[in-house]
Amino acid sequence: MSTIPFQQAKLVELYCLEPVFFASRELSDTYYTEGVIGNYALTYALGRVNSPYRLQGQATGRPTYKEDFQPIAQDFYILPASPVGRVTFRFERFNALSDAYWYAMTNNRVATAREDLPLQRQGKKPSSFRPSNFPQTGRLRMIERRNKFQTLVFGNHQLPTYIRLGKFMSKVQVNVLNEFPVTLLPEGEYQSQHYLNAADLPQQIEALAFDLISIPPAPIIKNLHFRGAAWQIGEMIVPAGLHFCGRESSNE
Amino acid sequence: MSISKLSTVLAASYENFPKGRFITLVVLRTTHSETIFRTEGSGEPMCSEFVQAGLEGENQKTIIQRLVMTKRKQVAPERRYGREHLRAHELLYTNIKDGSLCSLNTNAPCEMCVDCFLYGFAAGGGGAQKSRIWTEDAFSILPASDVVGDRTINAIYENGTMRDEKGNASTALNTSEYIKPGVHFLDVVTLKDVTADELRYIIGNILFTSRYGAVSSRVGRMENEILGVFGSITELPSSLELVQATYDVLGKPLEHPLNINQLITASKQVIANWKNKRGVSVQLSEEELANLLTDVETNWSEAERDNFLKRLTQSYEPFRHVATEKKKAKAKGKNTPVEVES
Repeated sequence: MSTIPFQQAKLVELYCLEPVFFASRELSDTYYTEGVIGNYALTYALGRVNSPYRLQGQATGRPTYKEDFQPIAQDFYILPASPVGRVTFRFERFNALSDAYWYAMTNNRVATAREDLPLQRQGKKPSSFRPSNFPQTGRLRMIERRNKFQTLVFGNHQLPTYIRLGKFMSKVQVNVLNEFPVTLLPEGEYQSQHYLNAADLPQQIEALAFDLISIPPAPIIKNLHFRGAAWQIGEMIVPAGLHFCGRESSNE
Repeated sequence: MSISKLSTVLAASYENFPKGRFITLVVLRTTHSETIFRTEGSGEPMCSEFVQAGLEGENQKTIIQRLVMTKRKQVAPERRYGREHLRAHELLYTNIKDGSLCSLNTNAPCEMCVDCFLYGFAAGGGGAQKSRIWTEDAFSILPASDVVGDRTINAIYENGTMRDEKGNASTALNTSEYIKPGVHFLDVVTLKDVTADELRYIIGNILFTSRYGAVSSRVGRMENEILGVFGSITELPSSLELVQATYDVLGKPLEHPLNINQLITASKQVIANWKNKRGVSVQLSEEELANLLTDVETNWSEAERDNFLKRLTQSYEPFRHVATEKKKAKAKGKNTPVEVES
């Protein structure tokens, strides 16, 4: 662990030009976004890796983070974005409608087969009236417009000025605030102020205390107090050896 | 044909992976009747947002409340417009699950029609297609307080009064906000990796869609105009920045209704600077834009439409075999298979 794969890191600010939504948690018909932006999402959004427009068959069964990130992991890493100040949220209601002239809101489904209506009135349940497994109405908790997030981008890369984030491809502005060299600090006890992806932590570090934000695909760790080597970027400290899916081999 | 000028940022055919080709449409949306955009149900106020009035000087410090036309309120009617014609020309497919014709929000999209390929779908478990049309919340230029009015709604009985035959009073009395006619929304629509025919289809959907928002069989008439078309390798500024910059150029005092010609001149002045933005490779001139719009209208015309829509549908043919021949699909099928651990 003596060499540092990254010479420099950029401190980047993300400015939400539109409300941003991720399905971090789902409670009944309310869909919550946590006040954090995952680093895997950012890697895709910044265009470092691509995901296909269409997923079919087995490819829908599981994400391909490992395959996607492996080729770029040697010269690129990004931290989960942590909020600058308090995150503000907004709630929005959504409802989906069909393109048919006649429709009925049935069990979590918009039914459009008008010919099924007499059947339904006889007490039978035509298939178009049965519930479907995706939401037609509900409430969204979204990160409000004008929120700011900060993250560190390791490696020397050009970043786009605008990116799109979340389920609704919300526009977010990318501002590079500063550039720092990355220096290696020897083993010791450190405190990291940045948000970290639990799956990306190096195997060697000893986590003494931390707070956990439990969201998919991997929990986010904040206020990490750890023992091990560290990288220093300006005033900021993160564990040394952060790497996409760096913790994977320990659970296989 | 000026669409050839965009050839560097157009895809030759649909491909499953993104390739960094952006086309940006700058759209001016003008209400032509009372219009309702709200996200919290009837009786609630119009959808609005506090934002900086402009980007420079005093305008930067002034905070005003602007009306918002959200992303989904733009794209939903527009894709439905295209679907009307796909349906009329019998270009919607039946889905494998229950054999019903492709329909929005039924959990069984056909996954094969033009709409599915372009605007995307998410079917539970069966796969998904991302939309290649990225919309943005559009903002009004003037503050909400200037362009919102109140209407009282009372639904009378058939005898023409608020009391029925038994003498019971009607409860159908309500006051509701609405957006006045002649309100302008500026909007940026981003298209990714679309082909020439897909571009014609999308522009057609935007230009020909005439009703938006709630109660659109009564109100919600809106006129769309394309002010600029750009080709680039990155995204261009947001519609909020566009509105703010235009507000700066327009100068004060501003009053509803705005002079549409002054507004168009101001917006075009703002987007003229975008030519120098990082990553921009093409900007259509006035004449080229007019040609492009004529090209779109020709393809959508009565004489050409059938031809045009069938040609567009045909272009996805190589990707349809996967679904029809299930077993072979796993063996060869897709051009870009995603390997799955076994």
